[in-house]
Amino acid sequence: MASLVRCRSSLVRLVLLKKPLTVAPVSSASIHAWNKDWQPGPYPRTAKERAAAAKKYGLLPEDYEPYPDDGMGYGDYPKLPPVPTIRKSQYEQYDLPYLRRNYGETMSVDADALREDWLDPELPKHMHAGSSRYMLLWFTAVVGMISVLFVLSDPYPLRLNVMPKQYPYQGKKHYTFDPVED
Amino acid sequence: MGGIYSDLLQKDVTPKWREQSSFDPNYGFPNGRKERKSIATEEEMIAAGIPADQRDFCAHLLIDFYKCRQEKFPWVVSCKHEKHKWEQCEYEDWVLRMKEYERERRLLERAKRKALKTSVEQTIGA
Repeated sequence: MASLVRCRSSLVRLVLLKKPLTVAPVSSASIHAWNKDWQPGPYPRTAKERAAAAKKYGLLPEDYEPYPDDGMGYGDYPKLPPVPTIRKSQYEQYDLPYLRRNYGETMSVDADALREDWLDPELPKHMHAGSSRYMLLWFTAVVGMISVLFVLSDPYPLRLNVMPKQYPYQGKKHYTFDPVED
Repeated sequence: MGGIYSDLLQKDVTPKWREQSSFDPNYGFPNGRKERKSIATEEEMIAAGIPADQRDFCAHLLIDFYKCRQEKFPWVVSCKHEKHKWEQCEYEDWVLRMKEYERERRLLERAKRKALKTSVEQTIGA
């Protein structure tokens, strides 16, 4: 029901209020041309550098928090909450609705893993595709199905309609189909 | 073809293809059938180094082929006629096995028909 209401409200907004559907990019930090432009800047040491970095990534200075300078190379890139695509609102108007992201939006460093069909940090750990329970389930399902098919089909092998091969000198007489004439 | 279908659904008239024929081989031939004779003896096959699964009724041609290979090596391609003769013999052996299968199947169906006829006659007579 709630989704219906939200749907209707977005329709009202679309048709009656004629509000702009897209929001202007919050950041210009990801508008780049070269690979080297994607690199973050150096780790901010002073308050002024922090404010500049926050502005660069389109964040409020109090929201901005860089990764620790521990050699991972994240530099001044902000630590953003790991929100996967599937947890983002589907009723918002995105520039890229399929990916649920806007043009120039600052992404989490783990954005590649937070795809819609992949990681969801809010899920319990055992429900992830890489958990041992999932792997055991899939292993049992696949190998079990193959084993069942193998056992059930074992008495009925693929074969051609021929009798067994005939060998001489094994104490049994074999015949051609030519009749004896006399 | 159709082997699994027959094994599953026509078990009573499908030949036991792992075994030899259950009927008299000369049944239906007034004077009998010609017996298959191996040209090479078993000692010759073993001496020529023929593997056990190929010591069949075509082994004499395989011996010829082996011999030719040994003589002509490394120009073994000149033994293609010997090889073709042996392969033709193996093909005819396969056809004979197919015929044996069909004979067995038809005899099984005939036996089934006859049994059915007998039982019907007994029911009507009683």
